[in-house]
Parts: sequence; C-alpha cells; structure tokens
Amino acid sequence: MAPSRLTAQAAGVNGKTALRFLLRAFGAAILVLVIWRVTTVGLAEGYPASFWISQALNGLVLGGVYALVALGYTLVYGILFMINFAHGEVMMIGGIAGFFALQFSQSRGWLEGPWPVVVVALLLIMLFGMAASVLIGITLERLAYRPLRQAPRLVPLISAIGASLFLQYSVLLIFGVSPHSYRKPALISGGMRMGDVFIPYTGAIIFITSILLMLALYFIIQRTKLGRAMRAVAEDRATASLMGVDVNAVIVITFMLGSALAGAAGVMLGFHNTVVKFNSGFVPGLKAFTAAVLGGIGNIPGAMFGALILGLIEAIGPSALGIPTEYKDVIAFTLLVLILIFRPTGLFGEVLSEKKA
Amino acid sequence: MTALLSIQAVTKVFGGLTAVDNVDVDIAERSITSLIGPNGAGKTTLFNCLTGLHRPEAGEILFDGRSLIGLRPDEITARGVARTYQNIRLFGRMTALENVLVGQHLRLHASHWSAILRSTRQQAEERAARTFALELLAFVGLESHAEVVSTNLPYGEQRLLEVARALGSRPSLLLLDEPAAGMNPSETDRMMELVHRLRDEMGITIFLIEHDMKVVMSVSETVAVLDYGEKIAEGTPEEVRANARVVEAYLGPEVVLQDTADTPNL
Amino acid sequence: MTPVSANGAIRNGLIAFAFLGYLILIGIPGRLGGSALPVLALVAALFFWVKLRFDAPDTGGAGLPGGSAEGKPGWQIGAPGQSSGRGVGALFPGRGGTLVLRHGLLAGVTTGLLIAGMSLAFASAIGSGASIQPVLDKIVPVNVGALIGVSPGQIANDDVPLFRYPLQVLFFTVAGLFAALAAVAARARNLQTTSMARLSAYLDSLPFRTTARFAGIALPFLLLAYIVWLGIPGVSAFGSNEGTVRLLFTLIATGSGLFAIRLAHPGREQKIVALLLALGVLTMPFILDQFQNSVMGLVFIFVMMGLGLNIVVGYAGLLDLGYVAFFAIGAYTYAFLSAPFSSPYISNLLNLLGISPEIPLLGYWTALPVAMLTAAIGGILLGIPVLRLRGDYLAIVTLGFGEIIRLFMLNLGELTNGPRGILEISQPGLFGLPPQSFSSGLLSSQGWIFLVALVSSAVVAFVAIRLNDSRLGRAWFAMQEDEDVAEATGVHLVRTKLLAFAIGATFAGMAGQLYASRQINIFPENFSLFVSIDALALIIVGGIGSPAGIVLGALALKGLPEVLRGVDEYRIVTFAALLVIMMIVRPAGILPSARRRVQVSPTDEQGPTTAAEERENDASLPAQGPPARPEDARSEEPA
Ligand SMILES: Nc1ncnc2c1ncn2[C@@H]1O[C@H](COP(=O)(O)OP(=O)(O)O)[C@@H](O)[C@H]1O
Ligand SMILES: [Mg+2]
Repeated sequence: MAPSRLTAQAAGVNGKTALRFLLRAFGAAILVLVIWRVTTVGLAEGYPASFWISQALNGLVLGGVYALVALGYTLVYGILFMINFAHGEVMMIGGIAGFFALQFSQSRGWLEGPWPVVVVALLLIMLFGMAASVLIGITLERLAYRPLRQAPRLVPLISAIGASLFLQYSVLLIFGVSPHSYRKPALISGGMRMGDVFIPYTGAIIFITSILLMLALYFIIQRTKLGRAMRAVAEDRATASLMGVDVNAVIVITFMLGSALAGAAGVMLGFHNTVVKFNSGFVPGLKAFTAAVLGGIGNIPGAMFGALILGLIEAIGPSALGIPTEYKDVIAFTLLVLILIFRPTGLFGEVLSEKKA
Repeated sequence: MTALLSIQAVTKVFGGLTAVDNVDVDIAERSITSLIGPNGAGKTTLFNCLTGLHRPEAGEILFDGRSLIGLRPDEITARGVARTYQNIRLFGRMTALENVLVGQHLRLHASHWSAILRSTRQQAEERAARTFALELLAFVGLESHAEVVSTNLPYGEQRLLEVARALGSRPSLLLLDEPAAGMNPSETDRMMELVHRLRDEMGITIFLIEHDMKVVMSVSETVAVLDYGEKIAEGTPEEVRANARVVEAYLGPEVVLQDTADTPNL
Repeated sequence: MTPVSANGAIRNGLIAFAFLGYLILIGIPGRLGGSALPVLALVAALFFWVKLRFDAPDTGGAGLPGGSAEGKPGWQIGAPGQSSGRGVGALFPGRGGTLVLRHGLLAGVTTGLLIAGMSLAFASAIGSGASIQPVLDKIVPVNVGALIGVSPGQIANDDVPLFRYPLQVLFFTVAGLFAALAAVAARARNLQTTSMARLSAYLDSLPFRTTARFAGIALPFLLLAYIVWLGIPGVSAFGSNEGTVRLLFTLIATGSGLFAIRLAHPGREQKIVALLLALGVLTMPFILDQFQNSVMGLVFIFVMMGLGLNIVVGYAGLLDLGYVAFFAIGAYTYAFLSAPFSSPYISNLLNLLGISPEIPLLGYWTALPVAMLTAAIGGILLGIPVLRLRGDYLAIVTLGFGEIIRLFMLNLGELTNGPRGILEISQPGLFGLPPQSFSSGLLSSQGWIFLVALVSSAVVAFVAIRLNDSRLGRAWFAMQEDEDVAEATGVHLVRTKLLAFAIGATFAGMAGQLYASRQINIFPENFSLFVSIDALALIIVGGIGSPAGIVLGALALKGLPEVLRGVDEYRIVTFAALLVIMMIVRPAGILPSARRRVQVSPTDEQGPTTAAEERENDASLPAQGPPARPEDARSEEPA
C-alpha cells in the first residue's frame, strides 16, 4: 500500500482551505466557549488558590501514571505501527500481581517493620507487578502479534482487541468480579501539609517514581546501544536488520520495557485508587493512549508531556468549567480532537519515525 | 501564440530549502515540452505545484487563462490537467479497467440514488465509461490486460496504465513525471511513440519530466532546464544542449570544455 | 538424542503445562470432575500433535541450528524415494520417526511431571493446613482435587493416595507418545504418493465435485427442514437443550446458505438458490420460539451495523472505533419519538407544543426517516473534525466520540434520564395495525422484530452493494488505496469521506432504532465501546468488504455466543481467543471479498510457521483438495 503522505506534508498541502477554515472556526468556537465558561463560571465560583493547587497536584500524579502507560503505547507504535490495544490490561495485571505481593508482604508483617524494611518491601511489590506485566507483555507479543507482522494494519488491531478481552475476562474468571483493595502501609498513608495544600505521601511517591522511571527509559533510548537499535528499527525495520540489528530481539525488548512501565503504573494506580479489578486497566489504558496521541504518537517526550497535560486538564477542567466531574472524560477527548484539528500529528509531532507503513 | 499553461515566477519553499525558485515556463497548446534537470532540482515539486498538491509561496499559474493557485487537486483535474507519478502510484488492488474508471470519476455525473436504483441513464453512463476505458487501454496497448489487478502488471505496463488513468479525465494538458524511468530501450521507444500519438491523435498538450537526454532530444519541441530550483535554460533541444550552464549543471564545472555533442545519457 | 531436540521437547512440555495451568486457574478441571485428567491429557496431546505436525521439532540430527527449513534434516522424511514401504516400517522412516517419538515422550513426561509436582505441592500445602491466598483458596482445592481424582475434603485431610501422582505423569506421557505417533503416521501417509494421488484425483473428478456441490447447496435446506420438524409440538430430540440446539441449527443453516449461494453456478441457478433460501429464512421468524427469534433479531441488527461500518472501514478505509455513537443516536431518537414520557425535557417540550407526551409521537415506520436523518447528520458532524486525520488518529478520535456520546447519555439526565434509561419504547406496527395484533398467534413479538431486521438488512445490503458497484464505490476504494492520488484523479475527498460517514451512520441509525424497539427499554450501558468493537470484529472475522461475510460474521460473533450460554463464564474468553486465532489463521475473514484476496503476497517472512508451510507444500501433491488450508489463507494476505 502506498504510504499516505498527506499528513506528513500537511504544512504544504493546499486546496483544503475551505475545510481548514471550517475546522479552525469549529476549534475557535469551542475555545471561545471554554474561555467564556472559565471566566464566567469557573473563576466566579471563587475557589481559593489552594484548591486549584491541590487539584493540579492531583492531576500531575494521575498524569505521571498515564505517562508510564502512554510510553508503552508510544514505544510499540513507534516500532510496529500498531496500537497495542491490550496494553491497559498489561497494566491491570501488574496491579493484580502487585495486590498479591502486597498481601504476602502484609501477611509476613514486613509493612509494619522499620522504614527500610517497608521501603524494600514496597519496591519488591512494584518489581513483582512489573515482572508479571513483562511476562504477559512478551507472551502477548509472541502469541498475538508476532505472527501478524506482515498483515494489514487492521488485523493486529483486532488481534489486540481479542487479547485485551481475553486478559480481562481471564482475570475475571480467576480472581472474580469483586475489586481487590490495596491497603496502604502506615508509613505512606499520611501526607504533608504545605500551607493550605495537602499532599498525600502516595501522590508524591507516585509522581517521583514515575519521573524516575521515565528518565531511566529516556536514558536507555538515547544513550545506550540498545536504544540506538530501537531507534534504528523504528526508522526502517528492513534496513536495521540488514545492518545487523536483531529486529525480533529489539521488538521483544520494546515490549518488555513498555510492559515493565505499565506494571509499575498498575501497582501505583492500585495504591492511588485503592482498588484493582479485572477491568480497571481499560479506562486508564484508553486515557494513556489518548495522551500518547496528544503528544504525537511514537514521540517519547511527547507521551510524557501529553500525559501530564491530560492529567492536569482532567483534574482542573471540571471545576474550571463549572461542570460535573463525570465529564472529565469528555474534556479529555474534546481536548484530543481540538489538538488534532490544529496539529494533526500531535502536540510535539511524530519524532521516532516519519515513515508510516 | 497564447500559452495553454503559463507558469509565472513560481516559488516553493520547504523549510529552508527553496525547491522551486522563481520559475517561468510557458507551454503552447498542442506542444511537447520537456522539463529536465539533475535529481533534486525541483521538477517533481513544480508538478506538485501545478496539480495542487503543494501551494506555491509566490507566483502565478495560469491554465487556459485562469489561475490554478488555491484550487484543490480535484478541481485542477476538472479544469483539464492530469498527471502521472515518478514512483508509480496506481490503485494497486484494482484492475487496470477499474483504475481507468476512477480516472473518469469527474466525467461521470449519475446521482448516487440512480446508482442504487440502477436507472437506465446511470446504466448507460456506466456502459459508456467502460467502453471509453477499454478504448483508452487499447490506446496505450493494454487492451488484453483490462481485468488484471494492477500490481500484477509488469513495471512498464504499470506506467502505461498510469497514462491511461490520467487520460480518463479527458485532460487537455498531461503532465508526465519521468514516464520512461526504469524502462528498457524498446519500452522507452514505445512510450515516446505513445507521447507523440497523444499529441497527434488526441490533441493533448504534453509537459514531461525526463532524465534521458536522448529521449528528451528526440521527443520534445521545447526544453526547460531546472537546477537547484532555478530555471537555467529554455529553448529548442539543440539550443539547450549547446548551453554551457546546462552542461555544467549536469556534469560539474570541470567538464564544461569537453565536447558535449556526444555525451551519452546525461 | 541431541541437546537441541531435548530442549525443544522440554520447551513444548513447558508450554503445554502453562496452557493447562491456565485452564486449571479458570476452573476447568473442577467443572469436569472425574474426567478432568483424561480431558486435560487429551488437550495436551492435541497441542503436542499440532506442534509436531506443523512446527517441526528441533530434531537436528546433525546438530544444525534450527531456523530454516533446510536446517532440520530430522524432519525431512518426506524426501521422495526414502519412504520405506508400508506398515509399521512406514511409521518410522529413517531416524526422523524415532526422533519424533522421543520428542513426544519427553514433552509428555515434562508436562506430566510438572502437573504432578504442582498437584503434590498444592495438596500437601493445603493438607498441612496452610492458607495460600484468599483467592487461590477457592480455586485450588476443587481443581487440583479433580486433577488428582480426589475430593477437596480428602485433600484437606491430607488423604491422597500417593500412586495418583505417577498416574498423572503416566497420562501425559501417553498423551505425548500418542501425539507423536499420530504425527508420524500422518506424515507417513503423505508419503504414500500413489494413494494420495488417487484420492486427490477423485476429489477433483467431476462426479465428486458435482455431488459435493449438490450436497453443499442442499445442506441449508435440509437443516431448515429439520428445524421446522423440531418445531412441531411433541417432537423433541435434544431434551432440555432443545432451544439452544435449534438455535445452533438455525445459525448453521443461515451460514451454510451463504456458502450454498457461492456454490451454485452464477446465473439462473444462483438466483433460484438465493430466492429459495431467502424464502426459507423468511419463514424462520414464524417457526422459531421467542428466545431463538430474539437472538436472530440481534444477529441481523448487527448485520445492519456491520454493513454500515463496512462502508466506512471496508470500502472507504477509514478506521472508525466510535461507530456505536450512531447506533445510540438512532436508538435514542426513536426512544424520544415513541416512548411515553420518555424524559423530562422531551415531555416538557411536548407539553409546550400542546402535544400529550403520553402517546407516542411517531410510529416505527414514520420515525424511521427521522432516526436515519439524525444519525446521518451525526455522522457528518462527527466526520468533519476527523477528515484530515490518518488511520490511527482517526481510530482514537472516533473512539473518543463514541465515549463522549455515551457519557452525555449517562449525564444529561434531563434529556436522556441518565442511567435510568428510557422505558416502554414501542414496537413496529404494520399498516396501522398495532404490534400486539400479530404478537399473538403466528408470530411472536421477537419473531416480528427478527422479520423486520431481516427485511431491513436486506435493504441495507442492497443499497451497500449497489453503491459499492458505482462510481462512488470506486472513489471510496481509490481513496482507501491512495488518498492523494485519488484526489488528484478527481475524487472530491471531503464529499466522498463525508458520504461514507453519513451512509454508514444512517445504517447504524436504522439498526439502533430497531434495537431500541427490540429492547423496549434502553440504557446508556447498552451503547458502550463494546458495540463498536463487536461491529468491527464481525466484519473482520466475516471478511471485510464482503456483505455475505458480514452476515456470517454476525452469525458467528453475535449468534454462537448465545448458543454457548450454558457455559456462560467461558463465553467471552473463548470468543476472545478465537478472535486472536482467527486473525492469525485466516486474517482475510471467513468469506473474504474478491478484492481482499487479490493482494500483494507478503515479503519473505521468517519464523517457524512459514518454514513449516514450505515443507508442507513440498511434501504434498500438486493437486490439493478444494478446502483451503489455513496456511494458504495466510499467504494471500498482503505485506
Ligand atoms: N514534501 C516535501 N517536503 C520537504 N522537502 C521536499 C518535499 N518534496 C520535495 N522536497 C525537496 O525538494 C527538492 C526537490 O525535489 P524534487 O522536486 O522531487 O526533485 P526532482 O527534480 O528530482 O523531481 C529536494 O531537495 C527534495 O528533498
Ligand atoms: Mg522527481
């Protein structure tokens, strides 16, 4: 199939002026509406500054978790040009595994011990969740995606949808419908107060951990031989393989990296939301994918910033617009549509690769 | 003589690169004009500007006295400009016949309701379209391949099919982007003969990009030369061949003094 | 035995164990009770057989590394002239056969040891009174008990006869050996060229083909007759399962009907077969009971959905994951127009206009154009912002639209009643007769819905096929192939894309309206993302771009799961696994369209499956029987 260069040439494309005008007008109208709502309703409510700050901090925490998941989408998309629809489930399995590790640690009393023991136990819990996610991620790649590398794009997407359902309902069969609740150890259940703003420890830990993991990933991709191989495969799989890059290995490692981040996100989301169940990966997965697209899919910093922006907007948006919080998903998707109207390749463009299969 | 196509001071910039720089070319009706120049000179980009794929930053393009600037590609095709592509871009999974039928899209007017009801008018139009498509395929010599899926055609025949598809819209100006690229000498001869027949039998004005100097010299009445986006020469094949800047552009400055008359395949 | 092959066998044993472990976790042995061990052993045997048959074991006698077809001489027993006669000797031609047997043995022993070890570990853990995890405590005793062949109580009392564990190992060992024998035997049979040639010559011969064709055409009619017979009061062939069995036959009859039409000679014969089948299918609403009719009605509602989505995805190549939005628009539009006191907002509006909100505003057929138009407008409005987006961006944005619509339905309580939904939506009438007048007697209420669904989907299919066959269809396909070139060839992209969105949405609106009257009460959760996914999955499973395939896809994806109601819990996992397998084995769908089949063959692909295919093709005879093997389907798909 001939690659469609339409979007790549968007800057130079001519002729769709009427349409573009229509879209711009549409976008501008929504923008005006938003500004009007914010100034007349949101700000008029007269919330104190501390309210906005704690909302924003909340958003950053959620954004950090989305970012970890979004990175998995972006990594896989950058290399295989496929939407790993089951990635949210990979995250959920990390959360479930983390739950059992947490239970185990609790039954051993590790979480009531002195703080170094608790810290190590928490790290082990997260590592266990990550390991479970990695296991599922590479199994998925091997069984559901690898046989479809040469197939048209829709085929792996459907396979991914099948895999996503399979994972969700397997977890349902094995662990039941009822949610499993994460009990926070005493050490991290409090929070700190800065002025009027309350920052829960878990929030701070989640945000810092996300940033550290993202930095680690960025380092791997930019500075190591492995990262170079990944970028080469993303650029041109055939040429990379001619240059001696083991394409299969690179793809597997990409899935491992993405799944590990998702597993960590799953455990952290477990602590954040206090529960996990069979379908708790679905909506965050969708959000994370939205974030990846927002930042320009395939673009690693784009996914991080896209996710943070999405988290922020979701947290602040409903109060700012003076609408119920149930509409936060509407806000997220509307934002996505708006951004894609003005920047069809996302906020930060597609960096990992310009070539689209 | 009024020009069918008049390109006036057209400039196209990509980022920092001026791919087409202030180019003027006039093309007379029923003429065969060639556009030559080294790789990356901006020839294809000029074609893209003509067909509405790119919008030039400056300049004017008049076709039949009316401006093409700002029109959508399909509107430009409706005006009577059709083209082929340097790297063949057929509708791969369609048969040769279907490709040519898509080429006629603009010339078919039956409503979609009548397509659902298969009205007699719509049926007659479809039949006429098929007949015309078969005629065009016969014209380029592909009549026996009408039902072949186009990716399964040999390379040379795919190029011919692109011409047939372009003819489907009944153009008065046909832009051919390196029609003989990758062809062997006998296929090239066949293509050049086709170019002449297009002009002589169908009355279509031809503007073509070509690499092969021999071909250019034999086929065209006027030649324009691009280098780094600028037009460096224009004239009859003989004039252009004798032009020092052209030779320099093709071979580099150090060989300018050589005898250019028998330089093969520039 | 070389280390290479030992590794391969142990790996296969491990994979089998992992798979069985999954089955144990989801509780299969507990359901099977006493037959758990043999059934699981059979599953393992099947797995080994597939691996041995299609995925040559690493029996590299010469120690060659695996990877290419030539690299595995141990399996090259198909080389002509090497076959060693008949009988037992044929089972072991050269070293290859024994290696395969050893491989099977080792794999079986591995799995058996792992299963036994796991059973022992769990049994002794529980026996010693340890609690594992709250969740596993529920799963393990029952399932491991069934696997060992004891009751959970016996495990808890640590009262398990020790010989059970070696018995488990034995079962799986036998399974491995059996699979290996079967694989070798199958391979050896391939060698007997003369008999195979005779067989395939017969399969290719005219009398056979005629008979097979005739049988294929007759099958749906026979099934229909059988369904009718089953419907006669007093006739019962399947006891309490009667209802589902009849449903299954109905599904198969409809599906095989599509094949029958393909089998018939084009022209008059085909027309007659199609006509007779149409008549047969049209009588089904009168024959089936309420439950069967309701399933079939749903199937054909989804046929409409599939046909509409197929215009967007299959014809125009625009990947739309938010298709449910138009389904919902159709359903809610009709609900507003036909349900009494549908919602506060609508009731107020009607009161203001001086119309009583108690009686339905419009009937089904008068509301139909309104629902279609609303959906079409929705299609255009949601289409405009995404016109410039490429495949995956389009997918996610449309998915977002679908979610937005659902969230609006959920939260715009004044207009939609929120999660409480809209109740008492009226049923389609006919010529002014109220629906109740035929819901008694001949036609059940769901039968009537099924009939309406049948007729509507026939109309939709007709329109879709005609449009695809016109210049619009060509423009869609051209756009799918290469958007830029299509535009430069004269296709008005905006108009063509919006037409695809609008027509697709119209069909979904029709489907939504019928769905609303089928359900009587509708709620926002009826319009989740899963509706979009189902619609997409059914056109892909059936064969994208092919209307007949879409019917088949709907039968398979919306109908079959209802037959599986009995094993409700396993329905979705089975379906999901089948979806993945289907994509791998036959990605073009069950009944692919002609255009899907003519595609560029894939470039060289490494991997064991392809290597196995090559060997298969070498060993088999030139004349293959008509049923396309899965491997063939793979190579049809493009790069
Ligand atoms: N869509 C584009 N974006 C950026 N640069 C382009 C684009 N199309 C062409 N160019 C650049 O413009 C120059 C002229 O290219 P082209 O017109 O294709 O040359 P040619 O004379 O060989 O046909 C080249 O340097 C090419 O890289
Ligand atoms: Mg060029």
